[in-house]
This record gives sequence, C-alpha cells and structure tokens, in this order.
Amino acid sequence: MADIALHEPRLAERRLARFVVFAAVAGIIFSILGTRLFYLQIIRGTDFGTIAARNSRLDEAIPSSRGLIYDRTGRLLVQNVPTFSVKIRPADLPMELRDEVVGRLAALLGKDPADIIATIDASPGSRFEYVRVAADVPEATARLIAESHLELPGVQVVVEARREYLYGPLLAQILGYTGPIDANEYARLRSSGYLPDDLIGKTGVEAVYETALRGQYGIQVVERDARGRRLQVLQTLQEPVAGASLELTIDTHEQELAEKALRWGMETARLKRGVIIVMNPQTGEILAMVSLPTYDDNLFARGISAADFQRLLKDPNKPLLNHAIQEQFPPGSTYKLVTAVGGLADGKITPERRLQTKAYLTIGTTRFYDWNRRGWGPCNLYCGFSHSSDTYFYQVAGMLGIDRLAYWAHQFGFGEPTGIDLPGEASGIVPSNQWKMDTFGQPIFPGEVYHAGIGQGYDAVTPLQLVNAYAALANGGTLYRPQVVRRILGPDGSVIEDFQPEVLRKIDVSPDVLRTMRRAARTVVTSRHTYNLVDLPIVVAGKTGTAEYGVRDAHGHLPFHSWFVAFVPKNPWKRADDPDGMRAVSRTDAELAVVAFAYDAQTLGNVATEVVKYYLQLHYGISKDYRKFNLLERTD
Amino acid sequence: MGVLRAEPARFSDLAGKSVTAAWRSYDLQLTIYAVLLTMVGLTMAYTNSVEDGRLALGPDSTFARGLIWAAVAAVVFVVATIFDYRWLRTLRWPVYLANLGLLVLTLAVGTGVGGASRWVAVGPLVFQFSELAKVLVVGVLAAYLAGRRERLGSLSVIVGAIVLILPPLVLVMMQPDLGTSLVFGAILAGMLFLAGASLTWLGVLAGAALASLPLIWNHVLLDYQRERILSFLNPSADPLGSGYQLVQAQIAVGSGGLFGKGLTNGTQNQLDFLPVQTTDFVFAILAEELGFVGGVVVLVLYGALIWRLLVAAWRSRDPFGTAFAGGVASIILFQLLVNIGMVLGIMPITGIPLPFITHGGASLTSLAFGLGVVQSINIRQARADW
Repeated sequence: MADIALHEPRLAERRLARFVVFAAVAGIIFSILGTRLFYLQIIRGTDFGTIAARNSRLDEAIPSSRGLIYDRTGRLLVQNVPTFSVKIRPADLPMELRDEVVGRLAALLGKDPADIIATIDASPGSRFEYVRVAADVPEATARLIAESHLELPGVQVVVEARREYLYGPLLAQILGYTGPIDANEYARLRSSGYLPDDLIGKTGVEAVYETALRGQYGIQVVERDARGRRLQVLQTLQEPVAGASLELTIDTHEQELAEKALRWGMETARLKRGVIIVMNPQTGEILAMVSLPTYDDNLFARGISAADFQRLLKDPNKPLLNHAIQEQFPPGSTYKLVTAVGGLADGKITPERRLQTKAYLTIGTTRFYDWNRRGWGPCNLYCGFSHSSDTYFYQVAGMLGIDRLAYWAHQFGFGEPTGIDLPGEASGIVPSNQWKMDTFGQPIFPGEVYHAGIGQGYDAVTPLQLVNAYAALANGGTLYRPQVVRRILGPDGSVIEDFQPEVLRKIDVSPDVLRTMRRAARTVVTSRHTYNLVDLPIVVAGKTGTAEYGVRDAHGHLPFHSWFVAFVPKNPWKRADDPDGMRAVSRTDAELAVVAFAYDAQTLGNVATEVVKYYLQLHYGISKDYRKFNLLERTD
Repeated sequence: MGVLRAEPARFSDLAGKSVTAAWRSYDLQLTIYAVLLTMVGLTMAYTNSVEDGRLALGPDSTFARGLIWAAVAAVVFVVATIFDYRWLRTLRWPVYLANLGLLVLTLAVGTGVGGASRWVAVGPLVFQFSELAKVLVVGVLAAYLAGRRERLGSLSVIVGAIVLILPPLVLVMMQPDLGTSLVFGAILAGMLFLAGASLTWLGVLAGAALASLPLIWNHVLLDYQRERILSFLNPSADPLGSGYQLVQAQIAVGSGGLFGKGLTNGTQNQLDFLPVQTTDFVFAILAEELGFVGGVVVLVLYGALIWRLLVAAWRSRDPFGTAFAGGVASIILFQLLVNIGMVLGIMPITGIPLPFITHGGASLTSLAFGLGVVQSINIRQARADW
C-alpha cells in the first residue's frame, strides 16, 4: 500500500493538523481535570476534610450514672436498672425506606408505626442525633432487633439505665420521676451538654436536684461507617462523673404511717382527696408528706403510654398534683391564729378581755353569723379560739383592719411560697387593700375583712404553709424554710452539701403572745372541741378548720374542706404534775407539727382531726384506739 | 458490496526483519505507562480488599482477582504484540460478526444489577463483552477507513462508518449500558476526525445529533439514566438520594488534600460512605488516599500514554495502524474524561470504567489487547524519523 500521506503534501498537511487538534483537545481535557482536582483538593481541601471527618466521626456522650436517693434513715428509694432502649438516628434511615423500616420495627416492638413516626418527628435534635423510640424493651425483642440491623438501617439497641422507684406511689409526689427531655428543656439545656434523647428529672426531687443527680456526662469520639454502625472508640475526651446522691428528710416509715392514717380517714369519710404533712418544727424538715390520690412514678420512668398519661391527666382528683404544695385552699378557722396573734401583738385585745359573741354581727343589712348561729356570750381569747367563735374573730379582724391582718399573715409565711425544694409550689392569697385594688380595682369591703379574719373569703393557703405557720408557733416564733432534702452525698458517701435549717424569719411578736396562742391551741383540745383527742395519753395542741367553698347546694349549704393542724411537745406523755398539758405546750420544744386536709369533706365530725389522731396513735405506738368510725353521722 | 472485500494478511514484513530491529521500533514507554497504570489499579484493589476485612490476598478478594486478571492481560498483550496485526484487518468481517454474536449472547444470558444484562459468566470469572466490543469495533472501523482513504471527504464514508457501528451500539444500549454506547460514539468521532473525514459533514452530523437530544431524552433514556443526569445538574437537591454518590465522591476527593490520607486510610472509602469504590468511583478513593499528588501522577501517566498512542498513529505508514491507534487513544481519552469528570463533579454519572484502574477483567484485557495490537503495529513499521 502506498504511503500516500507522506507523499502527497496536501493530505499530509491535513493529517498533521488533525493530530495537532486531537492532541490539543486531549491537553484541554487534562487541564480541566487537573484544575478541578486542584480546586477540590487544594483550594477546598480543608472544607472537605472537615466534612469527611464529620461523616465518619461522632462525638458521643458517655452518660454518667445518675445519683441515688435515700431517706433519712438510709433506706434506698431509687435505683438505676439497666434496660434496653431502641433508638433511631434519622440521618441513617433513608427516607424512602422509612415507612418500611418503621413498620418492621413497630411489628417487633408491638407498637403503632404512627407513634414511632410521631416520636421521630417530635425529636428536638437534628437528623444526626438519636431519637429514643422505645424504652424498657424486653431482652428477647432487643436481641431480635439488634440481630436484624441489616433490615433496620439507622436503628440501634442500646442499654440505658432506667430509674426504678422502690416505693412507687408512696413517694411519687416527692421524688417525681425522670423522662425524655422535651423541646423546650432541650433548647434551654443543650449548651449544658444535654442530648436530644436525654432523660431529665421532670418533677419532684428528681427535677429540683437534677444538676446534682445527673453528674457530668463524658465525651468520646467514635468512628462510624456509612450505615451508622459504631466501629470503635477513637478517643475519650472527657470521663463521665457520676451523679451525687440525695438523703431526704423524709422518713419512709413515717410516710407509710401518715399514708395509712390518711387512707383510713379517706375511706371512712369517702373522701376523694386528702393531704397529711408531718414536719419537725425545730428544723423545717418534712418527715412525711402524703397527697392522695397519687400515681406510680415507675409508669413514667418506664415510658408512660399515651393512654395511661391521659387517664392520669383527666382524673378529676388530679393525682399528678401534689396537693400539699401545688394547690391552695381557704384555711377556715385554722387561720384564726393569724387574727389572734395580730390582735394581741397590736394591743387590740388581751387574752382575758372578753368580747361579746352572738348569733351574728351586722354590717349594713348583711348578717355575719357565728358558725353555731348562737354565739357564746361574753368570750375571752381562749373561749373564742377553742370554740372557734366566728363573731369573736370578726371583731378582732375589724379592730386590726385588712392591712394589719395581711401583715401578720405574711409574718407566718402566708401569701408567698415557703421555698420548699419541690417544684410548682403555690403562693396562696393574703388579701389586702393593695391586693384588692390590683386584682379587682376596688378597695376591701368591711365584710371582706370579717371573712379574712376567719380564713374565708379571699384567703387561700397551701397545707404546707399552714403546717409551717403552726410549726413557727410551736417552736417559739421561728419560720423555717421547709425542706425534703437533708444532704447531698458523693458517690463515695462523702457529704458534698449539708442543708442546715434555713430561717425565713423570726416572727415579729413577743414570746408571750405565742405562748398564749400555744395554750389557746391546747384549749381547743381540752375543751373537747376536738372531741376525744384530749383523751390520748399524749399532749396535743392544734386548731380545726372548716372551710366553705364553691356554690351552695339545694339546702343552702356550701361544700367545705376540713382541716386540722396540730403540734406535739417534746416528751408528750401526760404527767400527773401537768394534767391539762398546759406546761408542756408553754415550752417551745415541740417535736412534731402535723396538718391534715380533707378536700370536700362530707362529714359532720372533723375527719382531718381523726386522721391526725390516728397518725399520732401510730407514731407514738398508742395501742388503745381512739378513732371515731361514724364520721358520716351527726355527733354531739 | 465492496466493504466485504477481504485483504490477505502478509507475513513477510516481520519475517524479513531481525528481532533486534523489531525491538528497536517497539515502544517501551507505551508499555511502561500501561503497566504503571495497571499497578495503580491493583493498589486501589488492595486498599479496598483491606477494607473488606478480608486478607488482601485471600482467594476471593478484589486484589487477588485483580492480580489474576493482570496476569491474563499481560499474556493477551504479549500475544497480540507477536501476532501480525494485519490479520485483524483480514479477518474484520468474521471479527465483526463474532462481536455482534457475543453482544447478543450477553443480552440473552447476561446478568447485571437491577435487571440489566451486562456480564456473562466465563468459568469462575464474569466477563463484560461490551468492553471487548470497543476494541473490536476500533479494529473493524480502522479496516473500513483504511480501505477508503481516497474518499474520506465524502459523506458516504461517514455514513458507512455510522452504519457499521450502529448494530453493536444498539445492542449495548439494550443491555442497557448508556456509558459504553457513548464510548462507541467517541470512537467513531475520534477515528473519523484523525483519519481526515470531512469536517463539514462531521459538523452537520454532530448538529443533527444535538438536535435529536430531546428525542433521545424522552424515548431512549431510561428513568434511572435521566435521574442520574438530573442529579448531576443539582447534586445537593437530594444529598441522600441519587446525588449521594456525587456528593460523597467530592468529599472523598477534596478531603484527600495535597498528599492524601495514606493508602487504606481514607475514611470515605474504608467506612463505605462512597459506594462502588473499586469500580466507577475508584478515582475518588485514589484522590482521597493518595491526594492531589497521586491524582496528578495518574493524569500525567494517562497523558503520556495517549501521547505514545498518537505517536504510534502518526508513525504508522499503514492507514489501518494510524486509525487503530487513534481509536484506542479515543477510547482511553473519552473514558478518563467521563469517569474522572464524574468523580470530580463536572460530568454526569455514567457507568464508564476508568481505563486500567477500575477493577474489572474485561476492561483490562480488552485494553491490553488493544495496546498489544498497537505494539504489533509499531514493530511492523520502520522507525519514522521525526
């Protein structure tokens, strides 16, 4: 074959041109690829390096073990138990597989797929953070899920510590529970190292002492592959620090006795709600605090079902509320302590000065009746307090005026939260001219002053405020901040923080006035206003209250709550040299202050008194039973 | 028909020369560049075999299979060099028909991902005949063009070449394998251009092809092919969907930096963030683990290889040799442009292997065959003095 190309100049020229162009095209292609490579690797290299590291490395929290909780006698109340949880990292779950994977997972867990989807969507974290879709998964199910990780991309089974509340409902109102962090909490706490799937104290002591109990989470860097499987821990950046433990002021045994007494009273009187609080008046320590009905905090710790949660929320008797502190009620005659102390301290009355009590007082055309609609005739302080004469205290309140009455109420801690270390405390209401103007735009009417003087009208207190006020009376005038936690203990048992009794104020009154009032409170018992309470072999002083509220029924009767608030002096056993116990109550060494509250009492007798009586019998081991069982019948 | 006229092969040329003379015209550089690129490919197979958690030399590892195929390719290369290339020209029609037969066979019994028919099992190994088809088509086309040197300016030669290449192209398209059929287009364009076909007619036909793109988009392309092109145009629209590979590939490349993360240390590779590490996206792994330096070295090797192919084409006094070497250069240039361009995010995703480096026996042995034929052309020419 001829070498035409080489021998024919025109063709050879064209051939060369074609080769040059081909080589030039190749050169351009290599330049483009090289330039692009330079751009990606050299100019953008650092950016992509960061992205690649983020792809494969994950800063992962190492949870610390949450602190334990003991009662004052060292009894363990809460422990951590390991459980299996199922979590999903949405970034590892391809969208197009989501329904399929969730459906499969739901079938394994026995849950509704819609619930799981809702949980994922409600997660406060990003797609790259884990969402807990099931807690407390049985071990067999957990294994099954862990083994089928290929069919369940993005799904992980992890071992987590769950809280187990050893006494459940008995202490639920105090301990509270932990639960999954919600979006608001997460927004507030993410800077403190909280994770979107974290557990956090939701209420009770678990919430108030969250920081101490939680400890410090550690941080580790783990390497993960594209399917989200963790391959290895590359580095531990920070070791976790175990949470501190708490020692409560609560005595579980006393809590059980108090609950037993309250349950008995509620069953006997067919009550729906009730409270009993036992306090050491010398320190403000709460020894027992029972609010019924209650709930099992383990339901929440295990991850409460929507149905259970709705049932608790819709219960008209509000089992989730701690009625001892989170709700306020008219105090009724128990409030006469404030009126009496004010009258004595402001010099409006003396203990012996008699006031005329009668069936009713009149302001304008309105009649203000005494509760027995007769009165007791001329009546001094002991007479007025022990019989709980309304017309006596109307007059004292009238002499004081609303603002002095409010002053003395505040002295006893009413109208503001006591500052107990439990969440959601109500502040109560102490009416004054200013308060009335602020609230209703009107001054106080004289009749409202009367009502304020007997714990009716606008007056509202929490059971805790009331027992705290009487504790201050019993200890000689020191108002303490009530507390349920005594000490914070390190994991090794060392004391990290010791909460000494905290004085809120010394009540601005002479000791004589308070001694007079303690004697008057003893007279309430000795006068048999509280029936056979006086027969107990121990000295008890206190005050009853019947607080009307709400709307009158067909017979013109208002529903009412019953109160009894009491204190017991140290060495309370009756002595021959102090037959009426007056010397005992003159001292300021009281060892117990107790309040019982019966919501919507249907009884004619005072069920709250019976509850306190029964508790004292149990507490002091009094074998003779003084209880009345016919609380729904009319008595003397 | 004229195209069916066979020319007898001649044995005299080589027999008349001494082995020393043949060796003098042997292009050692060409062989060295190809061997180096193959070793880069084996290295990438090695790093991926380590990742699989198996022994790199285990019998079923990517690396071990790579070694076997490299040995096969070496034999094919040597045999093709020794054989007189003119046999290929003589036997072009049997070769053409055998090629079509193999592609039909692939459609009939082949297996592939998602209902495709691309691979045919040959004993324990699978073989992709469309890879061989590229080189065989180069041979057939070279023979065709060599016989029509005087009429290269006419439309009829161009149309004839298109008619010739259309049957294998359609068969590959039916597998379906868009990437390989595009390579056929590149072969056609590259060879016609180098052979000196009329630029006017080439331009007219290219314009017609462009004008028919909407038709192809709607009636020829399959859904997944359209999706790949769309995701190329906007990869971050759905980073976990079809754009995932593109995004992860660029992360891999970019994070390699100047010197790379070191062999077997690429996190994008070893932790499986990047799919198909050993095949279509192998260059991403190379760039991640060996860095800009490694990437440039590979580009330079390709550049040198294509240069030697062009030299062979220029030097050949036989128009068949010129056309054949140009065709092989077109294959390699086009495939590396599309493959590396795809990895670097400037080309859409198409399943085109990176010559010598992508793991796959068919690609490597077919290229070895092509280069062997080019060496055969080289040693059967007197050294040109330019």
